[in-house]
Amino acid sequence: MSSIEEWEGLEEEAREIRRKEADWDFIESQPPRLRAALKFYVETGDLYVASRIADMSIEEFNDLRKRARIPNVC
Amino acid sequence: MSAEAFAIADTCFLIDWASWRQRDLLFKLFKTVFVPESVIKEIRSERTVEWIASSLASGSLSLFTETPDILSFARDLVERSKLFPIRGIDLPEAICLAAGRMRNYTVITENRGALMAADILEELSGVRVWRSLELITEGLRRELIRGDPLKVLEEYERDTGHRFPRRDLEVVLRELRGED
Repeated sequence: MSSIEEWEGLEEEAREIRRKEADWDFIESQPPRLRAALKFYVETGDLYVASRIADMSIEEFNDLRKRARIPNVC
Repeated sequence: MSAEAFAIADTCFLIDWASWRQRDLLFKLFKTVFVPESVIKEIRSERTVEWIASSLASGSLSLFTETPDILSFARDLVERSKLFPIRGIDLPEAICLAAGRMRNYTVITENRGALMAADILEELSGVRVWRSLELITEGLRRELIRGDPLKVLEEYERDTGHRFPRRDLEVVLRELRGED
């Protein structure tokens, strides 16, 4: 079992990887709803909620995530 | 039936996994993999729909219909997970975790919140939660797939846009190469 602090550390590490590798020009070029959903995903890594923000199915949003070059870190 | 016979997969896992060229490894590891009904609604691409449909037809995948007791436990898990200062879980992955606990299924997910919940919540102690990393490692260990472990795992990352945490990857590679 890991401590909550350890999980927080792993979350921050994953967030940094997503921020660093994301194609920010692509993200900023998206319509407002998709842009907000992609930024939410970069910060949280939560595909389900991000897809709801984008008003897309999870698979559709996952394709958008790949186009935005945001890795799924897990 | 042993716990290893059955697994339940969430949407985030299946959508990633479906893009991998060796995706049928999943069916060599489990007798059947349950997919909650909600997963089916999230699949849109022809390629993934065809894979899911043919796997359901062959029995490699099976539909999992949520019962009231599973749903009630899943809602409890969602609420409990929100009490901690880390990412919580939402209902789709909570349903898989509840089934893992109540039906003794292996839970397959790529959702970090689900991993954390299984690690921290007492109600989920003993539930086995695997990511693609553990699945591929098991496939290599049992020689259900072959090849240099690093190349296989890099291929998965390329196909799916996934990123394995480097530390976890190093641990797995050391073990598979017999360096532990």
